[in-house]
Amino acid sequence: MKPIPKFQYHSPESLSEALSLLVELENASPVIGGSDLMIAMRNGVIAPSHVVDLNEINELNYIKEEDGVIKIGATATHTQVANNPLVAKVHSLVDSLSRIGSPQIRNRGTITGNICNASPAADAAPPLLVHGTEVEIQGLNGKRVIPISDLFTGPKMNCLETGELLTEIRIPVPPAGAASSYKRIGRRKAFTLSVVSSAAYIQMDGETCTDAKVAFGSVAITPIRVPEAESLLKGSKLDEETVKAASTAVYEAVKPITDVRGTAEYRNDMCPVLMRRAIAQCLERLR
Amino acid sequence: MEVNFKLNGEKATVDVPPYTTLTDMLRDEMNIQSVKKGCEHGECGACTLLVNGLPVASCIILAPQVEGKHVTTLEGLEHKAMMIDLRQAYIENGAIQCGFCTPGMLISSYALLRDNPNPSPDQVKLAIEGNICRCTGFTKIIEAVLDAAERIAVE
Repeated sequence: MKPIPKFQYHSPESLSEALSLLVELENASPVIGGSDLMIAMRNGVIAPSHVVDLNEINELNYIKEEDGVIKIGATATHTQVANNPLVAKVHSLVDSLSRIGSPQIRNRGTITGNICNASPAADAAPPLLVHGTEVEIQGLNGKRVIPISDLFTGPKMNCLETGELLTEIRIPVPPAGAASSYKRIGRRKAFTLSVVSSAAYIQMDGETCTDAKVAFGSVAITPIRVPEAESLLKGSKLDEETVKAASTAVYEAVKPITDVRGTAEYRNDMCPVLMRRAIAQCLERLR
Repeated sequence: MEVNFKLNGEKATVDVPPYTTLTDMLRDEMNIQSVKKGCEHGECGACTLLVNGLPVASCIILAPQVEGKHVTTLEGLEHKAMMIDLRQAYIENGAIQCGFCTPGMLISSYALLRDNPNPSPDQVKLAIEGNICRCTGFTKIIEAVLDAAERIAVE
């Protein structure tokens, strides 16, 4: 096995110290869970001169609710988030976190890492997209808050500048009558990347769907929403005809590729199927 | 660099380069041999141990990241009643073939039974989903964990 390339290790205890280090040090990489960075280093994909560990920054480890927004600090692990009662209402996120890696990975890994790594297959991405999530990004020159869709700029590419850190994930508390669900297909159930995945968010007022969002993973260069399908579902009674039309819209909007995990054709066919399953589970959860 | 932590309850200080993995530090510097080197990508679970009580893959943790933490390996659980029952259940159910995955499997099984003394078969499967048995003896392992849970309940 290839050794890990040499680097210097830093373990700041405050965010300001971490941000300074990332600017001052040449070729520095932040790390939290390490489930992506350690492997990239071992495979020779990246060889940082400095590794800045964010785990000891207590001010980044929290999950709280403020002004109708669930706020998740950068170092909260998948396990911490999935078990937090505040997050229980964000059904699709809980669904997705239970499928990331294994218990060993979920005890170390974070949503921050999952989305900053920006894999089109990132399990947390479709749920966060349908829940209208924003992320807070901080650098030495201040902070900015952007919709999560703007974070993803390409396969394994995010919009963070050198010296910036994603510090908080902000999910609006889902209103009454809303539910979400995440469905994925993998080569097997345990510990596998998804071949294709879908999240749906549905809000109902009696028989009428007052809000709908659908998102997909592993079918484009980034995780994506399909507004064409959402506008068809919104305002409808989610009758068979409407869901069929939305399925067609999804089928036409996604542009998957063929890779080792699955063919483009298969992924394309499965997108509407997963969306339907996710919508069905939303309705079940609202019952 | 110097790393200070607790290994199986005892204070430990080790001087290793920061790019050393926790697996390598334990195996090479401290003679802890239950922690196996398998995939070294965090996927096979052979290097599983507990950090502050939670099962983690030690091959993707850097040695300095356990500064001030409690690290528990199979060696430290050897005399715990629950581990003795688990071990006996593994032996009697034929849950050990080549044995390479066994320490990691036992750690994951232990963490499960500690938090959930009466797991369903599906909960057992989820608890060991990060541990690969390449002899493919999963059925026996699942049976062993369920058997151990019954033994512990009886005591």
